[in-house]
Amino acid sequence: MSLVPLGAFIAVSAALFFIGLGGVLVRRNAIVILMCVELMLNAANLALVAFSRRLGLVDERGSVFVVFVFVVAACEVAVGLAIVLAAYRNRPVIDVDQMAEIRG
Amino acid sequence: MTLDFLEPLLFAVLAAAILGAALAVVLADRVTTSALFMALAFLNMAGMFVLLGAETIAAFQVLIYVGAITVLILYGVMFTPQSPRAYGLFFQKQTPAGALIAALAALPVMAIAFSFRDSGAPPQRGGDLVPLGSSIFTDFAFAFEVAGVLLLAATIGAIALVRRERP
Repeated sequence: MSLVPLGAFIAVSAALFFIGLGGVLVRRNAIVILMCVELMLNAANLALVAFSRRLGLVDERGSVFVVFVFVVAACEVAVGLAIVLAAYRNRPVIDVDQMAEIRG
Repeated sequence: MTLDFLEPLLFAVLAAAILGAALAVVLADRVTTSALFMALAFLNMAGMFVLLGAETIAAFQVLIYVGAITVLILYGVMFTPQSPRAYGLFFQKQTPAGALIAALAALPVMAIAFSFRDSGAPPQRGGDLVPLGSSIFTDFAFAFEVAGVLLLAATIGAIALVRRERP
């Protein structure tokens, strides 16, 4: 048996996820919001790897999903930063509440 | 068996570093500080993966998150001059509501999180490279190809978004 219980890993994952969620809701800087989304994705990765290693009866399915989350996270940060830079070029603000003209 | 204390100790150090760095990301005034604390959180998360026995995922974590994504975000910070009113974090109208929503959502999940137990099966040995590779290239081969197309589309989209029109 492992010395650190599975629940401890899941608790760290959940805490990190909600710290990231709080950051997304509280911060206004678009780049900081992107960083907090990355933290939330990484928290999900920790939960997937923990379940996969500790409960994984069918090879390593959870770790496979983590690889795809890596791919999606890289795409998301690239496109997200491009959107932030393009919006900044149109009008030089970085705070999301001042980007109100983006809406519909 | 005298080194039994090492694994819980490592776990405690890594967990404290991850959560502390994540809090610093949310609370730091300067965006560059946030980005570097995010890199610290990702690096400690790689240590957590090693603790779980997923060395391949830990290597990917260091390469992609600590390497690529952090550098990309730092470039984004450098390209956009930051607003001078960074200190207004705790005096914004959405701060109490946002923190309250996050805390309310966190309470039940944190209560459930500690209730997960190990399956009692012996932990898998031998690292995760062989089962990971054999899964990706057999059962998930189609998803693997789609992920490649997604990366290509994201690359083209990012270039198209930031391209300047030639005069």
